[in-house]
Amino acid sequence: MAVGGLGGKTSRRIGSILIRAVMTLLMVATLNFILFRVIPGDPATLLLGGARVSVNAEQIEAQRQNWGLDRPLFPDQMVDYLSATLRGDLGYSFKFRGRHVADLILERLPATIALVGLAQLAAILCGVMLGLYAGWRRGGAFDRVATGASLALYSTPSFWLAMILVVIFSTTLGWLPGYGIYSPGASIGAADRFLDYLRHLALPVSAVALGLIGQYVVVARAAMSDVVTEDYMVTARAKGLTGGQMLMRHAFRNAMLPIVTLISLNLGYVVAGAITVEAVFAWPGIGGLTVEALNARDYPVLQGIFLLLGASIVGANLLADVAYGILDPRVRQ
Amino acid sequence: MSDRIVQYSPSGRAGAIKGFLSKFLGYGGAQLGLLCLVFFIVLAAVPNILVGPLETAGTATGDFLAPPSGQHLLGTDEVGRDVLNMVVHGARISLTIALLATVISLILGTTIGMTAGYYGGRVDVWLMRLTDFFFVMPSFVLALVITPVVLEVMGRGREILGFRPSLFVILVVIGMTSWAFVARVVRSQTLSLKERTFIDRARVAGSSNFSIMVRHILPNLVPQIAANGALVVAGAIYVETSLSFLGLGDPLQPSWGTLLSLAQRAGAASAGAWWYLGAPGLCALTVSLSFVLIGNALDDTFNPRRRVIP
Repeated sequence: MAVGGLGGKTSRRIGSILIRAVMTLLMVATLNFILFRVIPGDPATLLLGGARVSVNAEQIEAQRQNWGLDRPLFPDQMVDYLSATLRGDLGYSFKFRGRHVADLILERLPATIALVGLAQLAAILCGVMLGLYAGWRRGGAFDRVATGASLALYSTPSFWLAMILVVIFSTTLGWLPGYGIYSPGASIGAADRFLDYLRHLALPVSAVALGLIGQYVVVARAAMSDVVTEDYMVTARAKGLTGGQMLMRHAFRNAMLPIVTLISLNLGYVVAGAITVEAVFAWPGIGGLTVEALNARDYPVLQGIFLLLGASIVGANLLADVAYGILDPRVRQ
Repeated sequence: MSDRIVQYSPSGRAGAIKGFLSKFLGYGGAQLGLLCLVFFIVLAAVPNILVGPLETAGTATGDFLAPPSGQHLLGTDEVGRDVLNMVVHGARISLTIALLATVISLILGTTIGMTAGYYGGRVDVWLMRLTDFFFVMPSFVLALVITPVVLEVMGRGREILGFRPSLFVILVVIGMTSWAFVARVVRSQTLSLKERTFIDRARVAGSSNFSIMVRHILPNLVPQIAANGALVVAGAIYVETSLSFLGLGDPLQPSWGTLLSLAQRAGAASAGAWWYLGAPGLCALTVSLSFVLIGNALDDTFNPRRRVIP
């Protein structure tokens, strides 16, 4: 913790948070282990690259020994699996024959991080500001319109927004590309290439961001509405502060608490939205890989993605707990 | 809330229900939500009467990707099927999956939350650890990895309870992965309920733990379960639509998500066939929004204090 020394309570709090995180990750890995053993077919054949690869009996036997498949499932195989996972060995892909799952995922990660990162940023900036303003002036015309629109956006699947955006801005108006990450045969210059990349990013980022804005507006509005009715706001008014001063000094900081928590806890939903949106745009990220893995029933890749998502969600939760401790002094005491 | 339930006379109960209804229906959101819902339930109940049997590639009646016209009000798809026909039939699939998944999720969430809250101690710790896991991992992410494996184990082919296997698996998986929020709400409510005197009275009168839970605690949980149930339905529609869009649905029983997946594969967006992808998405959005509005109105009716999370 950045603030103050580590008191007994603080370190115990951090300890229990860490234990919860490790438990969750352990359950994700265990689920992966069980699912892979449940799939029909000999695990040795599966590990060699699925039923479509022709292998002889000797190879299978060698694999069996190599992977310890002749030993009991629990604890031997389970421990092996967990230690392999910890070392970053996620097995081989069925579809991309002989390629490591971890490599495939790492290859696709940057495209998704760019998409999700920019969309989160845009959604947080717009959503939180609109929501805080709606909460500050709650009951007014702006509040009503913003709340209604947010609930509608909140209920809309992001990939459908993506398809609508393609129809409007790509097919009908022809302003932005609605497919891929670079134009085929585009000019070679680095600056042009980057510009081309940004133009391809515009629609996917908008679709993911629009899917998130609704949620941020609703939560920011509720947080602000709660703050506005607190006693310290009446005190601030009695001290003679102007509306703007009250907003900046008292309301804003307190309203940020639930918002920061939501932003960190929301990662799972952000990624879920991004996966389907990537499918619409053939965006070569984790979402694209998920769709390919689903269609080819490429279980090792699917489970690798599941592990990645699980780890990032757990990481985001840790971050939320730490951020909450820093923002809210009551949690520290 | 419980003060009202203490006066246990039939007329008192009827009065309470009447009071609830007039307050609930006073919310504009509740009216709008119920109106949309009734419309879609009618569509789902009698699709054959409204638009005839589900069209297939063999019985398709129109041109390929024809825009809306007098004959095909919502245009046609890439093999000439009427989009209106498929969307109305999709209502039945989408609504049934979402509602059944919600029933599973409410039963699981209520049982787990009530047991944890009532017994406390070790039971509570372990059940809540399980709940934490499902609370942290979104239903969509879990379903994404569990559904294809279960499908492979069961094999496609025979129908279960009138559902194609993939739809049955999707609804069970959604139900089993989306109960954590309900469990948390129910647990905290149970914790406060079990300290009330009427529970002590029931225990003194010799009621067993099970009968106290079912006859005394459960009825008092109904408001929380109803309000959160509406939000679970909205979530279930979102997850089902997304999973089907990624190709886990069944083309023989197309839900709205499956229709969108077919539209995507046919390149409807880049062909400018807005009618093909517009209707299924709009339906999913409307139904989901209706449930959110109803859930919020229920919550406002039961809790005078405003909720924080939508």
